[in-house]
Amino acid sequence: MSATAELRSLRSGRRPAAKQQNKAAFFFLLPWFLGLFVITLGPMIASLYLSFTDYNLLQPPEFAGLDNYSRILDDARLHQSLQVTFVYVLVSVPLQLALALALAVLLDRGIRGLAVYRSVFYLPSLLGSSVAIAVLWRTVFGTEGLFNEVLGLVGIGGRGWISEPETALSTLIVLNVWTFGAPMVIFLAGLRQIPASYEEAAAVDGAGRWRRFWSVTMPLLTPIIFFNLVLQIIHAFQAFTQAFVVSGGKGGPADSTLFYSLYLYQRGFGNFDMGYASALAWLLLLLVGTFTAINFWAAKYWVFYDD
Amino acid sequence: MSGSAKARLLGAVALSGALVLTACGSSGGAVERSDGQVTLRVTWWGEETRAGLTQEAIAAFEKEYPDITVKGEFKDWDGYWDALATTTAANDSPDVVQMDELYLASYAERGSLLDLGEAGEFLDTSQFDEESLKTGEVDGTQYAMPIGVGVLANIVNVDLFEKYGVELPDDATWTWDDYADLADELAEKSEGKLNGSSITGGMDTGSVRYWARLHDDELFDKNGDVTLDPQTLASMWQYNLDLMGSGGVESAAQAVESYNAGLEAGSLATGKVAMGFSYNTQITALREASGADLRLLRLPGSGGADAAYFKPSMYWAVSSQSDHPAEAALLTDFLVNHKAAGDILGTERGIPANGEVRKAVTADLTENDKIAVEYMESVTPGPSPVVTPKGGSGVEPMLQRYTQEVYAEQTPPEKAAQAFVDELQSEIDSAK
Repeated sequence: MSATAELRSLRSGRRPAAKQQNKAAFFFLLPWFLGLFVITLGPMIASLYLSFTDYNLLQPPEFAGLDNYSRILDDARLHQSLQVTFVYVLVSVPLQLALALALAVLLDRGIRGLAVYRSVFYLPSLLGSSVAIAVLWRTVFGTEGLFNEVLGLVGIGGRGWISEPETALSTLIVLNVWTFGAPMVIFLAGLRQIPASYEEAAAVDGAGRWRRFWSVTMPLLTPIIFFNLVLQIIHAFQAFTQAFVVSGGKGGPADSTLFYSLYLYQRGFGNFDMGYASALAWLLLLLVGTFTAINFWAAKYWVFYDD
Repeated sequence: MSGSAKARLLGAVALSGALVLTACGSSGGAVERSDGQVTLRVTWWGEETRAGLTQEAIAAFEKEYPDITVKGEFKDWDGYWDALATTTAANDSPDVVQMDELYLASYAERGSLLDLGEAGEFLDTSQFDEESLKTGEVDGTQYAMPIGVGVLANIVNVDLFEKYGVELPDDATWTWDDYADLADELAEKSEGKLNGSSITGGMDTGSVRYWARLHDDELFDKNGDVTLDPQTLASMWQYNLDLMGSGGVESAAQAVESYNAGLEAGSLATGKVAMGFSYNTQITALREASGADLRLLRLPGSGGADAAYFKPSMYWAVSSQSDHPAEAALLTDFLVNHKAAGDILGTERGIPANGEVRKAVTADLTENDKIAVEYMESVTPGPSPVVTPKGGSGVEPMLQRYTQEVYAEQTPPEKAAQAFVDELQSEIDSAK
């Protein structure tokens, strides 16, 4: 509420007409403010409080000090979920972005039917985190799935890709890489922003294709790469639906797809352990925040702004 | 009305609502009928079929009690428990809730369910036998009414037995060794086209409870602590590991896939195995899905022993937050006791636990339902095991996790069994 009070005092010195306009603006912003305070900030503050309590959902929370946070240190399943999540983030995001960039560059060559290709490649991004695709994945990578049949054609013996602990996570990584369409569209827009004259000038100076790409296109594209990187890392840290559907909410087989948010959900709802789950939520926020901060710090050394 | 609307709004604020409201709870005092029109909410998990039948039974109730309006809500299993926990946290629980053995103690011991004894005037328990009523007790208090019961059974696919020229076993005398030999024989005679059996233990607690009882053991003791000897659990896993090696049972990966695919697309229904364990009440779904001649046999080793038990498939319970406990009890009474409701609901929630209703319903059962009832009558049940203790509601995924580690040969059975028992006990301890 203090924010609106501040805004009100800022507003007070203005002319009546502007005041009227502001009123209208606030009126139209109201749904957003309501959403922010009621659906986002309210529960966040509540969960911060709950993270210091022993709360089983059915009885009033009891203050427990730092108990939940000290549990973090020796919770073996939490450590497993951290490992799964880190592998997922560190492997799938670079692969996904590399694929997105490669295809964006290819499509940028001005091929015929660009709009069609763009839509087709973008489609998985819309579907990727849906329940239907997770179900499809279970079928494709099953023992008798399509993937094994294709392998069989070239004489390679298959396995239960999604039902064996050694390979289950890789299928989810492939699923995430497959949703490269969203960063690809952003890359495409970024490529279009680069003035053609730069490349022409380089070509006149005798730079080859490869050279032009590395020395002209890439540096100018680094802000876009940075933007995609930050976004996709945050997105990957919060992965939930895929593992939830593929493993029936268990993170199995044998915890091999136990994403962080899935474990948080299991503690909160499966084990009536909402205090601890709240602490885990704040730890996740901290982790994502740290990763993003590192990203921004590192950006100084490789992101090039042409202005 | 405005009070409940307010509660619902706060429910939307998720947890913050809980802080304000949980302290209120039910007012206590005598359970008696309210004056004027009363609206109840009832909730259950399940599919469309169940929803249709339940709505029909609700309509019959409303006809009998014109001053009570009932709103039914249903969800799938996972969504149901998430919603029940959050609505209860927001002090907005539906009046009548479908309960499961896994969660009964977790809700009852935390004061979320009404002691049905307080509403005894409105709820008749006389048509239930004692053993079956006990399955709805927590610490000697009746918190829930069992709706239906199921018994673990061995399901055999007679078509596949005939196809490969394997003789059906005598289920009165067979042992686990016989079962293993038979599974191997099926795999051998089919020349690897099928596995003899699906895995016989580890994906559900029923299989572990049964194996434990065969070894004069139980999963939980009377105080709700884990009493299972890790050696017993390890021997169950070892039994399956041995059979996996020979092809007698399906591989670990197939077991995971079969489980995730669900009953009607699992390996029994699709004829990838010729035998497997399931509850007798699932025979209808399995026969319809497979189109094969499936039959129910008693489990190996059960001859004479009373390791088998009647598992309550689900319960009705009344929320302690209900503003109208008397009417909620009346609805519960109607659903479990009245012939009109019994006729509509049939065996969809299991063979009725109410003896009178069971008799009435059996008369006009379908062939598949008859198989389930006949099987149940052929089994001599032992005493009912205690319900899953508070803090143990996550036992099933925990068991599956260790089972998958063992069957994927990541962890040796003994080590996993000890770890399972320790982890389960620590969950129960931390909820005490």
